[in-house]
Amino acid sequence: MKDNDRLKRAIAFYFSVALFFTLLPILLSYSLGYKIDYKKFKIYKTGILYLNSTPAGASIYINGKLHTDLTPARIEELKPGSYNIEVKREGFYAWEKELTVRPNMVTKADGIVLFPMTQDLKRIVKYPIYDFVISDNKNRIYYMTGSGIFESNMDGSAVKKISPYSDWPRRIIGRKFSPDGTRLLYFNEYVVHLIYLNVDKSEAVSEDKAIVEQILISEYPIIDLFWYAGSNYIIVVSEKDISVLELLGGGRRNVALVYKFNTRPSNVYYDYSNNSLYFTDEKRELGLKEGNRLYRLDLSQSFFNKMLKFLMKMEAKKGHGEK
Amino acid sequence: MERNKFYKRLFEIIPGLLTWLTLGGLFMLAFVRPLWVAIFVITFDLYWVIRISYLSLLLLLAYRRLEREKKIDWLKRCAELKPPDGLYYKDIYHAVLFPAYREGLDILVPSISSLENANYPKDRMIVVISVEERAGQKAWDDVSSLKERYKDKFLQFIVTRHPDNIPGEVKVKGANATWGAKELKYFLDSKKINYSNVIISCFDADTCAEKEYFGCLAYHYITNPKRMQSSYQPIPVYNNNVWHARSIARLLELGSSFMQMIETMRLEKFVTFSSHSMSFKTLVDVGYWPVDMISDDSVIYWKCFLYFNGAYNVTPMYVTVSMDVATDKGIIPTIIKQYKQKRRWAWGIENFPYVMMGFRENKNIPMLVKMRRAFNILESHYTWAVWAIIITFIAPLPLIFGGGLFRQTAIGYNLPGVSATLFNISLFTIFVCIFITIRLLPPRPKDVKRSKVFVMIIQWFLSPLVAAVLGSTPAVDAQTRLMLGKYMHFYVTEKSRKK
Repeated sequence: MKDNDRLKRAIAFYFSVALFFTLLPILLSYSLGYKIDYKKFKIYKTGILYLNSTPAGASIYINGKLHTDLTPARIEELKPGSYNIEVKREGFYAWEKELTVRPNMVTKADGIVLFPMTQDLKRIVKYPIYDFVISDNKNRIYYMTGSGIFESNMDGSAVKKISPYSDWPRRIIGRKFSPDGTRLLYFNEYVVHLIYLNVDKSEAVSEDKAIVEQILISEYPIIDLFWYAGSNYIIVVSEKDISVLELLGGGRRNVALVYKFNTRPSNVYYDYSNNSLYFTDEKRELGLKEGNRLYRLDLSQSFFNKMLKFLMKMEAKKGHGEK
Repeated sequence: MERNKFYKRLFEIIPGLLTWLTLGGLFMLAFVRPLWVAIFVITFDLYWVIRISYLSLLLLLAYRRLEREKKIDWLKRCAELKPPDGLYYKDIYHAVLFPAYREGLDILVPSISSLENANYPKDRMIVVISVEERAGQKAWDDVSSLKERYKDKFLQFIVTRHPDNIPGEVKVKGANATWGAKELKYFLDSKKINYSNVIISCFDADTCAEKEYFGCLAYHYITNPKRMQSSYQPIPVYNNNVWHARSIARLLELGSSFMQMIETMRLEKFVTFSSHSMSFKTLVDVGYWPVDMISDDSVIYWKCFLYFNGAYNVTPMYVTVSMDVATDKGIIPTIIKQYKQKRRWAWGIENFPYVMMGFRENKNIPMLVKMRRAFNILESHYTWAVWAIIITFIAPLPLIFGGGLFRQTAIGYNLPGVSATLFNISLFTIFVCIFITIRLLPPRPKDVKRSKVFVMIIQWFLSPLVAAVLGSTPAVDAQTRLMLGKYMHFYVTEKSRKK
């Protein structure tokens, strides 16, 4: 090897060694969160603050002082302690919090949401409405108005009148689509309306795309309704009892009383996956009130059998009466 | 004897054990002490960036030297030499030995033709092809046909068949090379040619020498006052089929070619590799190449090193010999072929127990020299086995296994950023590699599209991925086999060229 190359290599080698030993402490202290004060030959423990906001590009104030970086920002070499942090952006409400910076640790506030002062408000419909319902698949809005039922896309476009029905009950407590999305239960404490949506024109009596039918006027205040057996039955939970209302066919609808409450249930939940109704009721024994218990009513196949027996009994009674 | 066996096994175990302790230790510590691993990873990353920057500089220096010396008319220089010890170039014979297996004529003919095209007088060139008997009749017929074709072109064209099952031999290239060298010895004896005047070059079957190679070799041999105590190492390039090879194979071979160029700048570590040359007298004196070891190319250096009590070195020659890129038609077969070839190279770790046993017996080599050379072997193979795994697989472990608390620490938070920054800095070395690749490329064959030049450039951006897959794993494999005493057999890299 020529001496010139040998010299260059030696210089490069010793330079590399020197560079490694110079950079290593700097890199490690930076990574570990230490700050080296070269003037005083001292090492301090520091912490890191990470701020990110939606939207980004907000100004950061630390103890009232404006920081040079905008969000998202990583503020290093902060002495451990508490800091008053403000995140501000013009046109948005400011975010402010007291954050603690710990030695050699990272304090993160990366989910800051800045809310705009002027909301992006858009009027979807121009005419007065009583109520609206959004389909379960979230692609249609149905409007209950004084001149009928309307439907539109989610942005309010393509408005169409689908029914002239306008006799809406007040103080609605429930709006429930059937699992297949073709029917809507619309009810208040006493009256239940059933709205048939997307009615096949060949079957419809009028040109309307929706038909509204009042299917129940309850004796007791209704707490909740649940679809049962596809879309053919509904479970009606009132303050006094639980009953099942048949929707199939025309004429008189069969109603089966399933359970009578001792007291008004505080909560009712229907589990569609295993067809069970959970509710509270008071336990009473020998006329003594023993407080509420949680019950589960199995409405699966076994319930059907009971329902069948009940209906057969009813039919038999009806037969005797006719005789 | 038992004691020797014990030490040999100990030295076989040490490299693999060090590698596994490092990798396993770091893996375990990532669970229990992620902070320690993170500190180690940052330290290693910084070391690696500085190391490859330093090596890139050496590569540039070596390349500049190669460019400069390429223009030299070595034969003219030889003719003008007035050597003090009276050895003139006209007295020097070149013997070129090709230990062959089943390489066909399409591989061997270009290699012999390159000798024919060399500017060294052919009446002082001897070609020896030693073919393995187990390669079959076809291989023998091929080399016999070569004899017919070239017998009048050189001083002598020897073809010989290396028999199988010679006691003490295993199926390695060194055994074949030794057989060929002994055949050469018979010829030299019959012609009463002084061994000291014969330089033997042991070439792979696909090695094509440059026109100036033998002039350059003769010049360095004559001008070296201790010419017997030196091997002469050209720079291997893989130009024979580089335009037709798969990118992944090209990258790896170019990488090893660059490493050889770098090694020419680090003489204290320089060891013979692949095709190399040396005095025939020294070869006979040390008892030829090892007949029972795979890495014959480097072991012959250590044999000489021990024989001359440490006073043996490798003289770098800035001329190239061109070989084949180990490639295949599909990507997976190419990866497999490359993996096996690199594992064979990594099996060079067998040098460590060989050298250590030699050092134990040889009391004339200074202890400091022994320690330095042993460290060099161990360090290079250890680094080879761990670097890519640490950078690729160990680095993210503290974040994966360190838990939420670690991720909340400053170092847990900074580790990905610091590692990424250091990695990005290291990418500048890719531009050095691209520059040298373009400069060393042979002319584009007519059947290769012009756009392939672009591929030659962008292929380098695949290097981190290739390094992750094939950077360290062959070395870990080789060291583990040696550690467990599951010794490797010689794997002949199949040569294939586009016809």
